[in-house]
Amino acid sequence: MKELLHYIVSKQHHKFRKTVDWNLGEEYSAKGLTPVERMTDRFERLTAAETPVILPNEKICFIRTISNIPDCFTEKEWEEIKSKHYIHELGYMSNLSPDYENIIKIGLLEARKTADEYSRRSIDAIIGLADRYKEEAEKQGRDDIVATLNRVPRYGATNLREALQFFRIIHYALWLEGNYHNTVGRFDKYMYPYFKKDMDAGVYTLDTALELIEDFFLSFNKDSDTYIGVQQGDNGQSMMLGGMDEDGNEVFNELSKLCLKASNNLLLIDPKINLRVNKNTPIEVYELGTELTKAGLGFPQYSNDDIVIAGLEKLGYEHNDAVNYTCAACWEFIVPKVGADVANIAALSYPKVIDEVIHEDFEAAETFEDFLAAVKRRIQIKCDEITENVKDLWFVPSPFMKVIMSVDDIGVGGKYNNFGVHGTGIATGADSLAAIKKYVYDQKKFTRAQLVKAVDEDFANDSDMLAVLRYEAPKMGQNDDEADKLGCALLSYFADALEGKKNCRGGIWRAGTGSAMYYLWHAAEIGASPDGRRKGEPFGTNFSCSIYAKIPGPISVISSFSKPDFSRAINGGPLTLEFHGGMFNNDDSISKVARLVKSYFDMGGHQLQLNAVNAAAMRDAQLHPENHLQLVVRIWGWSAYFVELDKEYQDHVLARQEYTV
Amino acid sequence: MITGTVFDIKEMTVHDGPGSRVTVFLKGCPLRCLWCHNPEGLSPEPQLMIKENLCEKCGLCLRGCTHNECRPFGRCLHACPKGLVTVAGIEYTPKQLAERLMKYRDFLNKVGGGITFSGGEPLLQAEFMLETLKYIKGIHIALQTSGYCESDVFKEALKRVDYVLYDIKLADTDEHIKYTGVDNRLILENYKILAESGKPFVVRTPLIPGITDTQENLSAISQIVGDNRVEIMRYNHFAPSKYKMVGLEFNLPDLPSNEVDLSVFKNAIML
Repeated sequence: MKELLHYIVSKQHHKFRKTVDWNLGEEYSAKGLTPVERMTDRFERLTAAETPVILPNEKICFIRTISNIPDCFTEKEWEEIKSKHYIHELGYMSNLSPDYENIIKIGLLEARKTADEYSRRSIDAIIGLADRYKEEAEKQGRDDIVATLNRVPRYGATNLREALQFFRIIHYALWLEGNYHNTVGRFDKYMYPYFKKDMDAGVYTLDTALELIEDFFLSFNKDSDTYIGVQQGDNGQSMMLGGMDEDGNEVFNELSKLCLKASNNLLLIDPKINLRVNKNTPIEVYELGTELTKAGLGFPQYSNDDIVIAGLEKLGYEHNDAVNYTCAACWEFIVPKVGADVANIAALSYPKVIDEVIHEDFEAAETFEDFLAAVKRRIQIKCDEITENVKDLWFVPSPFMKVIMSVDDIGVGGKYNNFGVHGTGIATGADSLAAIKKYVYDQKKFTRAQLVKAVDEDFANDSDMLAVLRYEAPKMGQNDDEADKLGCALLSYFADALEGKKNCRGGIWRAGTGSAMYYLWHAAEIGASPDGRRKGEPFGTNFSCSIYAKIPGPISVISSFSKPDFSRAINGGPLTLEFHGGMFNNDDSISKVARLVKSYFDMGGHQLQLNAVNAAAMRDAQLHPENHLQLVVRIWGWSAYFVELDKEYQDHVLARQEYTV
Repeated sequence: MITGTVFDIKEMTVHDGPGSRVTVFLKGCPLRCLWCHNPEGLSPEPQLMIKENLCEKCGLCLRGCTHNECRPFGRCLHACPKGLVTVAGIEYTPKQLAERLMKYRDFLNKVGGGITFSGGEPLLQAEFMLETLKYIKGIHIALQTSGYCESDVFKEALKRVDYVLYDIKLADTDEHIKYTGVDNRLILENYKILAESGKPFVVRTPLIPGITDTQENLSAISQIVGDNRVEIMRYNHFAPSKYKMVGLEFNLPDLPSNEVDLSVFKNAIML
């Protein structure tokens, strides 16, 4: 295992890589092919052009040798498509959680029986590539791989090894088809029957099973440099572990434990582990999770079944779907198999709304209540704009994805077609409101005109006001009821503004607590803000404190950030806590941190992500990147190698709250 | 009315007693340990702290102001655009401090933790601490002390706390005077009182390179503590930056760490 890990980490497999220079857009355009014909043809060509490569000693094979995927459309065609449709991000399907369970059980030939022409061609193409892998395995005398590929992906898996190889082939095919942020779903739930059968039959010991899982986990890291994202690492390979099943029983099992262990042993950023917990989850599960946090990978990310399931049901999800929720690429709650939610379609910036209110409505706002009413009204206006902006949403059809999703035609939609909206800068927004209330309306320390002038001038001429707003005003994260109440108000105005709206696919709109990359983008849209944030400074990530707020510590933070009613804003987006690595230096402190995590959920928190960080290592990595190639940090919803990030992302990680003990 | 001076309240401290804790740092200490990590806790008076490494010498804090609270420090505390000028040492009445700490009660009881009074030397403000404890109900209380105080004060404090973290740094009296500035006989006497009190406690010994981490010292301490539990504290090299912030100099000689053999202790762990 060590050799294979070293092989992947040192990128030796990149020597098999080549690129193709096909101008498919022009070719397809000249032939007048429809989008689905193009996707099918491209997939056939790519699978045919792939070279089967089996790495020394690996058990789970399939690796990309062609690193680029030429676009199916010309630029001109894209312009035309965009003039007729709303195109989400790249236009290809993303952030879905396919029905791995079913396809691994029945096999591709069974699925082929009911597939349309294009899906059949795609199935045949991937089976063709699998056959060539089998020939390569025969050549290398790898009878174990031959035996596995004799069974999958044609037929359903009969054991753990086949099931894992089958998963790998599907996941590989989804990426190769051009889909992205291909998530993993509730892995320990749908894989468990195969694991249990083999364990009961004595095929594996826990150690040899762990080795197989590690081999499988490595497969997520072989091609990840070819995956699309805002930054390297932003690739959506999120795996969900634990949580309750349809009958309320705990899913967390021996396989879940092996997954946590495998991740801890490999110390790689993929797959990204999520851990579902609820009021019945024993403290031992939190402790196992904390062991992984200690490893410094920025996961597991926790979510609270008791809040999330209830919230999804309130939005109209059926119990059996809501109870199986998983995470999209980062933290958006989605439903596997049947869900076609677009959980990251847009984002609302609270600080931008407040910026507009201080410039447009401040004079007329005699009281703070008037001011809040103006905030509410403008949040509604923004949400109206966001929702009206998305019409005739269209995705490039994916014939292979269509086979793996358990709905009629995922291209048109699924059982759930809801759209999620992020909410950026909640703390900057709440802190700004708290400062305005305290100093302008209650104490009358500053006049409205003085405040606006100072904000517009980026406090260049009023450092006294800056210092008061920035360091002395109440902040979210201090467990200050006033600031927290205003944070709750913002979240509920947001939920109110989206409630009852229908989207162009017949679904609804979901409010969320995430920010994704908007914590940088939205911050760049405005100048300074009334909380003493200066021009050019970013917001906190997701559902977190402002980065310069003076925070007493994590107890205050979780108290502040557990106050809202999350069942109304359940699109996802975690509270982030960062601890110095030294916090975890013995078993005793592991259990203490585990209890802190649990207490966030006992208080009604919805989602939490915590990091063990080492600021000194990060600073050194900026100066000597070559010495820190494996240093991992968490960005907004995914983990990345620090040295592969742009500097603005590096700097933000460094500036974030760290509770040293 | 008596008041006390607090230089920090830290949440979620995991090395200051059983469970997860909130630690209150009372300002002022009679010892002058060369390796002290909290130099802002030495003087009993509120003290200006300036993070000089980020200071751009813009002079805004030196521009005259009319704030009463700034007067003692000769600088405006509210003017720094980077928040680098702060005061270590906030005055509390016992009731105010208790009110602030009681907010943590539910959380601390849930996670199985409590409040720890540390410093500085908390018993330098024993009267304030004991008065504060009158208003705190239903929370586990720990005391982290150097043990350097009058024995009747120590006995009084023992009655009111649930757990003690007791420092024994150096067993030899001359060495103790040399490196901490005070005699250790009172500390060893109070240790006997603690050991016989039946109160749960732990002894703490920091490993200061070349000073406390000698095998001779560790063996002598192990003789004093016998079967009782000892936590050996690793040395933290990050202390010096705080000295500059309060205008002090860090004079600990930079000596190499000794290889330590903890087997002389019957019941020790390394923190």
